[in-house]
Amino acid sequence: MQESILTICEAMPWILEGALITIGTVAAAMLLGLFLGVPMAIGQIYGNAATRGVIALYVWFFRGVPILVLLYLFYFGLVYQLNPLEFSLFGMQCSISLALSPFAASCIVLGLTSAAYQSQIFRGAINSLPSGQLKAARALGMRDFEAIASIILPQALRLSIPGWSNEYSILLKDSALVSVLGAMELMARTKAVATSTAEYTAFYVSAALLYFLITWIGLRGLRYAEKNFRIPGYSHL
Amino acid sequence: MTVKSLFFAFAAAFVLMSSPASAAEHYVNGIDANYPPFALVDKTGKPTGFDVDSMNWIAKKMGFTVEHRPMDWDGIIPSLLAKQIDMVCSGMSISPERKARVNFSEPYWNIRKYFLVQKGSALTKDELLKGKKKLGVQAGTNEAELLKQQAEKQGWNYELRFYESPPLAIEDLINGRIDGAAIDSAPADEAMNKGKKPIKVVGEFAEPDDFGVAVRKEDNALLEKINKGYALLKNDPYWEELKAKYINVK
Amino acid sequence: MNEATQQTPVLEARNIGKSLGGRPILSDLSLSVYKGEMKVLIGPSGAGKSTFLQCLNHLITPDTGELLLNGERISPANKGELRSLRERVGMIFQDFNLFDHLTAQENVSIALVKVKKMSRRDASLRAMMELERVGLSRRAGLYPAELSGGQKQRVAIARALAMDPEVILLDEPTSALDPELVGEVLAAIRELARGGMTMIMATHQMDFARALATEILFMEKGAIIERGAPASLLAPGAKTRTQAFFARLVAEESAC
Repeated sequence: MQESILTICEAMPWILEGALITIGTVAAAMLLGLFLGVPMAIGQIYGNAATRGVIALYVWFFRGVPILVLLYLFYFGLVYQLNPLEFSLFGMQCSISLALSPFAASCIVLGLTSAAYQSQIFRGAINSLPSGQLKAARALGMRDFEAIASIILPQALRLSIPGWSNEYSILLKDSALVSVLGAMELMARTKAVATSTAEYTAFYVSAALLYFLITWIGLRGLRYAEKNFRIPGYSHL
Repeated sequence: MTVKSLFFAFAAAFVLMSSPASAAEHYVNGIDANYPPFALVDKTGKPTGFDVDSMNWIAKKMGFTVEHRPMDWDGIIPSLLAKQIDMVCSGMSISPERKARVNFSEPYWNIRKYFLVQKGSALTKDELLKGKKKLGVQAGTNEAELLKQQAEKQGWNYELRFYESPPLAIEDLINGRIDGAAIDSAPADEAMNKGKKPIKVVGEFAEPDDFGVAVRKEDNALLEKINKGYALLKNDPYWEELKAKYINVK
Repeated sequence: MNEATQQTPVLEARNIGKSLGGRPILSDLSLSVYKGEMKVLIGPSGAGKSTFLQCLNHLITPDTGELLLNGERISPANKGELRSLRERVGMIFQDFNLFDHLTAQENVSIALVKVKKMSRRDASLRAMMELERVGLSRRAGLYPAELSGGQKQRVAIARALAMDPEVILLDEPTSALDPELVGEVLAAIRELARGGMTMIMATHQMDFARALATEILFMEKGAIIERGAPASLLAPGAKTRTQAFFARLVAEESAC
């Protein structure tokens, strides 16, 4: 027992570094998903038929294809089929290679996937708002994008926080998949050290605790946000 | 983390760079850190193992630098082809399928396939094959594929259980969750000799397997250096030292 | 109407028609409202009063007909003209439609900032003045969920007034309110009428209509079937549809 704890202490710096990669991946994916998911939700509700179709196709694709497949397709398929990029500029032969780190590629793939899910969270939230909100804003002479930005989104984003907490937990679990690209995150490092020391139970318990801690801190943060932005008596749920 | 700093982190990830100039030859070796004793990480995450130490020695002798990058075994050949890594020296068996996509060095290690059972067990190899036993193998390996194919052809009726790594299969064998394990001699020897695990060998299966270093098809210069390096290493006392340290061959 | 012909109506609707799914819901409605007038639309629910009002500021696009604001024709295809129409025509909704995430004061000031491009400071000051006018300056910091229905509707009135509209459309402003809260809202509207505000209002408040309307328009099945001054339509013993409708409303109320 004492020996196990000693081993874990020695391995901790390396494993914690992996936890940072995990946290970074999840945070970047959440934000990318937010920045893409909000316009997608808006496009899917207020856009024309073509916009709605394209977004629906995107959502359908990213929800239907396993993340592992997406990681392979994007990283080994797409990026490196185009690499190095060769072209001629003013008669000069140029060759650039896109140095996309496994970490960045993981963030992008998880972010694009999360955008598909987050757009549906936001879409649900926007649809749950009474239609009179947009009507009232229009009746005052607001442009549609002003009305969406200052009336619809502030309310919809508040209503999205519970769905967001859910998405956070899911992304955290999905982040363990990115080790196929060579991003040695928390799970991959735990596995490697557990194998070499044969301290399976001890290391997997410590990984479980770390995941729990990351989940707890993230959910606390979101709950804080929910409280902070809470409007007295306001809820459509 | 502020939004701004995240933005910069992303921007940095997209930096465009010109093709790497060859100053002092630097290579990246992708390893499966879950394959002791050939490739693993120590408690502090530092890559080590028979293959890692071998390649370090070869790099020094042949005048290049090498960096070992632990990664998921499933992504290791795609990573090699995508130039994320330059070689795979990590207990990789030379197989026709792999040879179609990458080039291999001369075999540097010959590995056998063991059937393992608990030390006190009276099970024989025949009973393992035909007695409806639970048999552990490492997922994604040649032997897992082979045992699956052979079962149909030969009428063997074991039930295969797939494990991430050989030591996990050995753990479950000792726990009694499986009746036998079919794994490479190297991790098995290590477990028996070094780990003092209560297991024993009751037979072998298939042809012995050869380990080689995989490189991209066009990397002939690197392949030549590796082949020369192994030739030197095998005639050096350090080879015996490595074998004693990691594999405990008597 | 004769005495005002030399004037231009503040808002004029000509031959407004609208169908939904092949079924006509408004047919050939025309209306002119002059400065300081209050037109009252009455009629059973489903008569198309609300749809008609929303056609007047193009929240609903009519299929036929045209709108003139101070004699100028509004071309609905021009989004700028449409926004300017809405900016100049205020609207009060049946269920208030206050912005739920904003305080009473912010509800009033937001359009001043976003549409009239006022500074935030000026807009809040103006918002306070309008809230004062409807007697709610002490509730300025409260959110809609913290206000009573009557207070919500008064905030909505202040929100409309802050835009300095030339005419206000009121879509049954008291019908979502508990009976004891109706009075305060009607008082606020009466105050507007006294101040000379031009209004078109759909309502079931017949006493209110009788006292304040310059003209009553009785609607049924998407058409105006009776129109006239309250004194003639609601004269004792008048055999008008309006009178009959009024009598039925009174009977229903006393039956409750």
